Amino acid sequence: MSVSWEGEGEVRVFAEYQRDFSEEADVAVVGSGPAGAVVAYELAAAGKKVVLLEEGPPVVPEEFVLDGSLSMTRLMREAGLRTTSGTIMPTMQAICLGGGSLVNSAMCVRPMDFVFDDWCTNYELEATSLADLTPHFDAVAEFLGIAPTPEEVWGPRNELFARGCEALGYSSEPVERNVRGCVGSGECFTGCRARAKRSMDVSYVPAAIRAGARVLTSVQVQRIRTEGRRAVGLEGQVVEPFTGKPGHRVRVDARQVVLAAGCMATPVLLQKSGNLANGSGQVGENLQFHPGVAVMGIFSEPTHPRFGATQGYQSLQFLRDGFKMEVLWAPPGVTAVRLPGMGLDFKRHIASMTHAAVWDAIVSGKHSKGRVRARWRGLDPSLSYRFDSRDVPILQHAALELCKVFLAAGAHTLVPGLHGVAEELHGEEDLEVFRGEMKAGQFPLASTHAFCTTRMHGDPRRGVVDPLGRCHDVDGLWIVDTGIFPRSSAVNPMFTAMALSHRAAGAVAAA
Amino acid sequence: MSGWLACAALVAVAVWVLRRVLAGYPASSLGTLAPREAAFVAAASEAMFPPGGEIPESGIEAGIPQYIDGYLAAVPPRQRLLMRSLFFLMEHVTLFFGAPGRGGRRRFSALSQTQRQAALEGWRTSPSNARRTVFMALRSLLTMGYFGCPAVLQRLELSPMDIPTPVIEADLLYPPVGRARDGVLHTELAPDPAPVLGADAPVHPDFRTAPR
Repeated sequence: MSVSWEGEGEVRVFAEYQRDFSEEADVAVVGSGPAGAVVAYELAAAGKKVVLLEEGPPVVPEEFVLDGSLSMTRLMREAGLRTTSGTIMPTMQAICLGGGSLVNSAMCVRPMDFVFDDWCTNYELEATSLADLTPHFDAVAEFLGIAPTPEEVWGPRNELFARGCEALGYSSEPVERNVRGCVGSGECFTGCRARAKRSMDVSYVPAAIRAGARVLTSVQVQRIRTEGRRAVGLEGQVVEPFTGKPGHRVRVDARQVVLAAGCMATPVLLQKSGNLANGSGQVGENLQFHPGVAVMGIFSEPTHPRFGATQGYQSLQFLRDGFKMEVLWAPPGVTAVRLPGMGLDFKRHIASMTHAAVWDAIVSGKHSKGRVRARWRGLDPSLSYRFDSRDVPILQHAALELCKVFLAAGAHTLVPGLHGVAEELHGEEDLEVFRGEMKAGQFPLASTHAFCTTRMHGDPRRGVVDPLGRCHDVDGLWIVDTGIFPRSSAVNPMFTAMALSHRAAGAVAAA
Repeated sequence: MSGWLACAALVAVAVWVLRRVLAGYPASSLGTLAPREAAFVAAASEAMFPPGGEIPESGIEAGIPQYIDGYLAAVPPRQRLLMRSLFFLMEHVTLFFGAPGRGGRRRFSALSQTQRQAALEGWRTSPSNARRTVFMALRSLLTMGYFGCPAVLQRLELSPMDIPTPVIEADLLYPPVGRARDGVLHTELAPDPAPVLGADAPVHPDFRTAPR
């Protein structure tokens, strides 16, 4: 079966840029991750002339690298070694067509109504309740075929989590994901070889091209051009895939500019553009994460951990208490890093992985904040972050509940991987440690969910954009990535960003 | 005269210190790791993953130095500098904060296996969050290298599975990195989905041979 790609839409790649060039468009979209891809498609489908710019290259399955760290050197900014200062915490941002959707576990979770009620009340946002956003969530869900993880690919890791939650009477459910035809390879983080994950590069971006969008990959946007208080386009440079070596200059003239570069890159772009859109002083401020805590449980029976959906089951039981529990699997080397011991003892723990599962909790971290600043050179951000002691009890509670679920599921040994806590726990009586006082430094934190650095606020003095993503200070400039969240979404942020982007598309089209 | 003697003594001490810190490493066949770095990575690999135990392959047998050599070449300059700084710190810090036992104030790579493990254990369990973070950075590199070995993955039944990859619409759009669009690998769809796998799914051909 052959398919022809007709019409104005096309994708351009690094090898095709032979000289400096310029483009004209109704709308220029920066970033092809979940938020940018959605808005690009919706606007192209609405008849707008769209140029979508992505700094990374398209990556085909023949190029997926199964080794976790080598994969990250190609698909992640700073080779996947980005950390915050202050509280040192690893975090990541993808650099490839499709952005984070190529290398995440496809979790599409709608926040509960209390999240949006908080946003509306405390950030003076109109029409941003769950009911207001439901049509946009539904539209994205229908397009991507978002559905609960099917039972045939749960595998023991997910089934045991369900069993533990059920035994404790905790709510739990298979995760809704943008996946069709999952085979259970557990390889979401290095790219889905089964082509089952509906990441943006295989879903919204091709649809945008079909609708007439021009997609320029390997183009780094370096500056937003303005005339008076109006955005009129972008300037940037071709960059070589994986090395970032600069090449030809690129200029885009556009009546509307939409930033979807991610909450760590968009503020840097604004700062590098003359501290643009920052009348509120909030650009780059309020950086929030979902710091995670993970526990490994060891069972008597083999868990065959390589099989099963990467993150196929979750519990929202404690969402209002500030955390969400979920199943986790990652490249084995990444999973093993936090195991205890040295030498043969470390190897003994590694060998137990055949009978183990890892479950994690993401914590809302609402008291903990940081900021994003441009470095003197380049566009990589300088990130500072301070994990607030008021969020420590939530981490403790999360670790405690993860351990309880493991024990209820039948685990005989728990490996919490926390400093100052026994390296192995074996029963309910060992969990008392989590009910005492603990300190932030005991938890080796990590997070891939980041937001709030260009927050929306009804008051232009206190936020960067309005509820539709329109910049308060600059006409024709929009932001749709997770930076516009005014506060944690409490759940995995991708679906919310796509819904907000879907809504913003209508406003951009009408502008 | 005594001033000259003092100067000469100082120079001699400085030369002795520099030689003790920087010199005397065997040549390395690795392309990116310097001889000092290669010696440290090899020593740390054997301390973290000694021969024997429940997974027979040692860090050296698993090819950790070769893996890190390739990894170092692949990361951006700033991260490469940070990694090199990490190796330098860990290799020489035992000159000042010695490992337990006789002769503990030597370079890490010159310590006995027991002393190396004790030194690393001190970092792993340190009350200082900063020291534990440094240790985790090192352990991350070594562990990823260890799991880069197909034989290790096979023993743990964690080898990637052999998955048929369907050709979907997007595969007709994008060429491999570095090629123009006339280099797109596929011209026709082959959309039949891959079958659902199971715990006994076949191993990816690249991971069937051991050791690598």
